[in-house]
Amino acid sequence: MSDYAAHRQSGLPVFVRRVLHGGGFWPALPAIVFLVIFLVLPMVTLLAFGFVTIERGRIVGETLTLQHLQSALQDTLIWRLTWRSFYVAVISTVLSLILAYPVAYLFSQTKGIWRMLILVAVISPLLTSALVRAYAWLVILGGRRGLLNQTLLNLGLIDQPLRLLNTDWAVIIGMTQIHLPFMFLPLLAVLSGRDRRLEEASRNLGAGQVRTFFSVVVPMSIPAIFAGLALVFAVSYTNFIVPQLLGGGSYATLAVQVYEQTVVVLDWTRGAVLATILLSSCFVFVYLIVAAGSRFSRWTERTS
Amino acid sequence: MSHILLEGIVKSYGSARILNNCTLSVAKGEVMTLLGPSGCGKTTLLRTLAGFVTPEQGQIVVGGTEISHLAPNRRSVGYVFQNYALFPHLTVADNVAYGLKVRRRPASEITERVGHALELVALEGLGGRYPAQLSGGQQQRVAIARVLVLEPEVLLLDEPFNALDAKLRLTMQVELRKLIDRVGITSIFVTHDQSEAMMLSDKVAVMRAGQIEQVATPLDIYDKPVNDYVAGFIGRANVLAVDVRGGIVVPAPQVMTTRGDGPARLIVRPENLAFSDAQTAWPGKVFFASAQGPTIEYEIDTGQMQPLRLVVQRKAGQYPLPNGTAVHVGVVDPAGCIVIGSAAGV
Repeated sequence: MSDYAAHRQSGLPVFVRRVLHGGGFWPALPAIVFLVIFLVLPMVTLLAFGFVTIERGRIVGETLTLQHLQSALQDTLIWRLTWRSFYVAVISTVLSLILAYPVAYLFSQTKGIWRMLILVAVISPLLTSALVRAYAWLVILGGRRGLLNQTLLNLGLIDQPLRLLNTDWAVIIGMTQIHLPFMFLPLLAVLSGRDRRLEEASRNLGAGQVRTFFSVVVPMSIPAIFAGLALVFAVSYTNFIVPQLLGGGSYATLAVQVYEQTVVVLDWTRGAVLATILLSSCFVFVYLIVAAGSRFSRWTERTS
Repeated sequence: MSHILLEGIVKSYGSARILNNCTLSVAKGEVMTLLGPSGCGKTTLLRTLAGFVTPEQGQIVVGGTEISHLAPNRRSVGYVFQNYALFPHLTVADNVAYGLKVRRRPASEITERVGHALELVALEGLGGRYPAQLSGGQQQRVAIARVLVLEPEVLLLDEPFNALDAKLRLTMQVELRKLIDRVGITSIFVTHDQSEAMMLSDKVAVMRAGQIEQVATPLDIYDKPVNDYVAGFIGRANVLAVDVRGGIVVPAPQVMTTRGDGPARLIVRPENLAFSDAQTAWPGKVFFASAQGPTIEYEIDTGQMQPLRLVVQRKAGQYPLPNGTAVHVGVVDPAGCIVIGSAAGV
């Protein structure tokens, strides 16, 4: 028997070896521990606050209660805020797709320095914090002296300054710009790595460039489209900085309300209940987006 | 009359000239093969015909109409891609129907023609599958059905058998040739496999470095190659440095030539050489021998750069000569030899 075979046969029982191998689990352990301690546990704690009664920083009573959740769900204000969070996120997500797709397509068609420039232009917003960008929009959209109004007035395009700040539109514009990279990146990966021969085949079969784009390029990028939609929706739906800064003092979405209840009003119970609603409804919407995406790209699963 | 005419096609990428004044004509219903090593420009020439590549010079005429300036989707040219380029998000039937839908044919006509096309390539009943669920051979047939359903004037195939394993390749080659004969469509293949070219085509165009070296029937190319490159590409050939003296080739005096005196090269196929007793032939030693069953192949070291290759018929019970045996090799049929100029002045 060779040394090699002897080495293989000696050693630990199968069960122990299987545990040691762990199916790739062990290298991921540090990250898992980190996430459990600093993400999962705090989140569970926070959400749990919604099911107990807190008075003066102390938990009152021994049992969990659904009472707070029930009262929140019966509150029409909460429903209005949820609805606003939803439609602002939907409009902003759709706008992101409409704006990002052509740029990602352009990127896939260009080479060399232009490619680099487009990439830098699209990624660079990620280099500054969302807070700074939201403030920048404040300067641009802000009242009579804001950059936008000033320019439009000077050009004589409008007589009265537009009232943009503190409206849905300010929030949507700011959000779309800030979240654009999340839509752009998955599209870029798929569009620039796509198989160009499929487009040649389409041309060869008689389809023009427009037809080829809609019949071949777009359907092939559906997984990326829906990945982008899910990402942008999730961050837009739960964003509170942009609505708070660009929506103004009297403007609120569900996420803003969570922040105010927890940090300003210090009603942790209500904050936790609203966070629960925000988080679970966000999960439902993202799940629906992902489900729709896999329904439209069922062909990717059909192998063998 | 030629059905496809490519005239003086020139194409460069940067400073590299990919196609250098290529002229080719294909008769109606003929199957032409572009044969050459990778990088010789054969695929580029095919893509030029389909309109994916715009040549700098030259014109393309199909069926009497010049199509050089037409967009790819305006040309009646079916193209089968090397890896078939089937649309993965469409079923087999939708892949085949694609071109008809683009042309806005009525639904009933589409169903009928797709059915016919799938029947033609023996894939009826697989219309509902996705390309990823098909074998390589089936995918190839879908790719062919997808272009044939549009009844193009010309069928172009870019190394269609490359993605298939060797065993399937042979069956598919025969099937495809039968299919083309049945449809009667003018076709151009691209391949680097000489046996595929021999089997499939009515005519072979051998290409080298962006130029067409010779266009002829496969057997004519085999029997009368214009130069040593073509001779070496179709089948195997011995290229020997010889001297011409008064119309006689030295040292193979059976071979006559009309060339003037001076150095020349002699092209002899391995099966046109045999061992002989005559002292006039090439003396040498057996360098390597392998018995193939029906034949024995020898490599004979004659002191030249390349060993002489020689194939002899084998009788039952016969074994190859041992290495190092001193032998003489002579030409069997002088008419099967070709004398060309020496490497310097062709």
